[in-house]
Amino acid sequence: MSDIRLEIKDVSKNFGITKALQSVSFNINKGEIHALIGENGSGKSTLTNSLAGIYQKDDGTFILDGKEVHPVNQVEANNEGISIIVQELGTLDGLTVAENIFLGHEDRFVKMGIKNTSAMNRKAGELLAEYGFDRIKPSDMIENYNFEDRKLVEIVKATYFDPKIVVIDETTTALSREGREELYKQMYKIREKGNTVIFISHDLPEVLKMSDTITVLRDGVYIDTIKSADIDEDGLKKLMVGREVTGKYYRADYDEEVSDEVVMKVEDVSVPGLISHVSFELHKGEILGFGGLSESGMHEIGKACFGASYDREGSVTLADGTKINDIPTAISHSIAYTSKDRDNESLVMNQSIRDNICLPSLDELSNKAHLLSDKKLKDFAEKYAKQMSTKMQSVNQFVSNLSGGNKQKVVLARWIGKDSDILLLDSPTRGIDIKVKQDIYQLMDSMRKSGKSIVMISEELMELIGMCDRIIIMKDGKINGELKRSKDMDENSLISKMV
Amino acid sequence: MDSKDITQAQVVGALKKQSVINMIRSSLPFIGLIAMCIVFNIITKGSMWNSRKLIMNQVYVVLISATGVFFIMSMGGLDFSQGSILGIASIVVCLLSGKNMLLAVIGGIAAGALIGAFNGYFYVNRKIKSFIVTICTMFLFRGFIKYMASNSPVAASMKVYDYDTTAIKLSITAVVLIISFIVFRFTGFGINLKAIGAGEKAVKFAGVRTDRVKFLIYVLSGAITGLAAFVNIVKNGSATANVGNQLETQILIALVLGGMPISGGAKVRFENVIVGSLLYVVLTNGLIMMGLTTQAMQLIQGIVFLIFVAIFADRESISVIK
Repeated sequence: MSDIRLEIKDVSKNFGITKALQSVSFNINKGEIHALIGENGSGKSTLTNSLAGIYQKDDGTFILDGKEVHPVNQVEANNEGISIIVQELGTLDGLTVAENIFLGHEDRFVKMGIKNTSAMNRKAGELLAEYGFDRIKPSDMIENYNFEDRKLVEIVKATYFDPKIVVIDETTTALSREGREELYKQMYKIREKGNTVIFISHDLPEVLKMSDTITVLRDGVYIDTIKSADIDEDGLKKLMVGREVTGKYYRADYDEEVSDEVVMKVEDVSVPGLISHVSFELHKGEILGFGGLSESGMHEIGKACFGASYDREGSVTLADGTKINDIPTAISHSIAYTSKDRDNESLVMNQSIRDNICLPSLDELSNKAHLLSDKKLKDFAEKYAKQMSTKMQSVNQFVSNLSGGNKQKVVLARWIGKDSDILLLDSPTRGIDIKVKQDIYQLMDSMRKSGKSIVMISEELMELIGMCDRIIIMKDGKINGELKRSKDMDENSLISKMV
Repeated sequence: MDSKDITQAQVVGALKKQSVINMIRSSLPFIGLIAMCIVFNIITKGSMWNSRKLIMNQVYVVLISATGVFFIMSMGGLDFSQGSILGIASIVVCLLSGKNMLLAVIGGIAAGALIGAFNGYFYVNRKIKSFIVTICTMFLFRGFIKYMASNSPVAASMKVYDYDTTAIKLSITAVVLIISFIVFRFTGFGINLKAIGAGEKAVKFAGVRTDRVKFLIYVLSGAITGLAAFVNIVKNGSATANVGNQLETQILIALVLGGMPISGGAKVRFENVIVGSLLYVVLTNGLIMMGLTTQAMQLIQGIVFLIFVAIFADRESISVIK
């Protein structure tokens, strides 16, 4: 009896000049959770997206249960028994929850050319109830739900028809603890049924905990497949990076005094439906963390301080008395913001790296006659893109072709170029591998030391504990506690305030 | 080792193929223009070349007003009210030309800018899609024009004919083009415009006052067409009820013929305006000289338009036209 579910044979894929996959071959078994790990741009998502019909591979074969498959779109992949939960949002605005779940499979509910909406809603309702997501109503428009709930809808969409292979691409970092537990449960369920999960994650402890087998990719090349039981975190890091990873990851200091100087004062800030009456002060040279469940309103804090929230009440005041009420004022007063929704709010996707980096600094880059020179823009962009060691062909390349971590580097390069003093970083390491994470942590530490102030909003408790001078925990849109940096702090002390 | 070499060769091959396709794409309007000129000159046995002055005379208005629409389309908007703007501004120029010629020019620009501001207000502040707003204003101001000029054309002072020289018309056009080129290519405003076309939300988060930019662009585009109205009156001497009729379609066709991606964004180039306008005028005149009827001409224009849209549509960043 063969246990092999999927044979991947010599699969290659190029994006222009970038070799995303170079004849990758390995096998994935039935009834296992198979993790796929590697640094940013190592080809994990490219491989699974090719399998799920989102991309077309250039070369090689996928053999599913002894039969070659080459789906040209996601619906075909579904019919072959392959489904995927993508890294970014995979649900479509303008459709109801039910329509999203059955997207591409509406035929089930069509009789004589007419779609039976109530039958579709009923079926979707049954499925949601089965999964325990009763609070999501099938007839509601999907955009009425937040990122997290939409991910849950995607889980239903990807698994209700018992596919042979479910790809879960970097989904957990976007989810809160509850959402993750929910996802883990579903993963185990899939395995129990004898089906296969391909699990992509940057969170190595999670990978070790959840998976049976781990395959490592590096720069588009297959490195190794190992049993999870036979390896530890350091071993994985070594395989991913190709050398021993040493040195500190988070900050090492514990008893540095933070300056009393207040650089930003947030008073009684409310955004209807998201946060209410939030007040705090940010000090010079401080890293202030915000933690909580993803619906706790913490993600709105960054937007509110940046002047980007709709209908915000209360005030955000800088040390010199400036009130921040809109984005241009925020930026001209040296505030930077990186959004959790990197692809829509932080980057202009179909635009060059050059323009993306230069965008907030155009005034500084223009001469007395308000004219810009191409060379100056190029030099500026190159300088900061290289400082962030962004992997790219040239600064004229569009950002849409970069991997998640490199996109984030472009966003950070933009604000380093702008030399902002207050940085509002929402989920700065979401979907980013250890090497880049380490770079970002070190960057934050050196910024802190040079007197810049950072607000770090994150769903990863370990990085909050590791990096922040203070952590404010949000719950139901309100501040529910504050913790000072200490050696003894552990995840549980934060979680107890979050739920 | 072997497999690596192969992939390397494949990559280079794929890259070459892609850049060749891109090169053909971007040079297609140029090639089209030259080919058109040659073909029509052969068919008309050189009479097209002999009437080049007449043909050039038709380029100015389209070229000037297309520059404004070019800005609008760069940021992903559309403007169908250009013909009506030209009409109203032409009437204003006629009425003021008796008093003072400079006043007439300024009046035309101001009238255009005012209608542009009207468009911009409904587009930006009232958040209505640009093509809806401008289709409404197209009809609205066309109504005004009919009201003003139906019984008899609004005639300009005879003095305008003094300005009907190639030198003046050409230099007005050249000034508009040169300033627009510099603004588009070498200022933050130009970069912001293209960026808005590529992804408005992220541009907003980068600190650009996108609403202000969008409003200003409509005002600017109206003002530019207001200036084109002066050239139009200098050429024609009066404004009839049909003044500027279908200018918007002519502009749209010209820009698309010039290789402009209809959703705007990063792939927009300034030469789209110039090559496109020339190509459009050569095409229509060539067809007229071949003795085609108006109906047949529209048919052919429609086909050519469709082909070019199909070639230049930026499918990677297809989004709703704003």
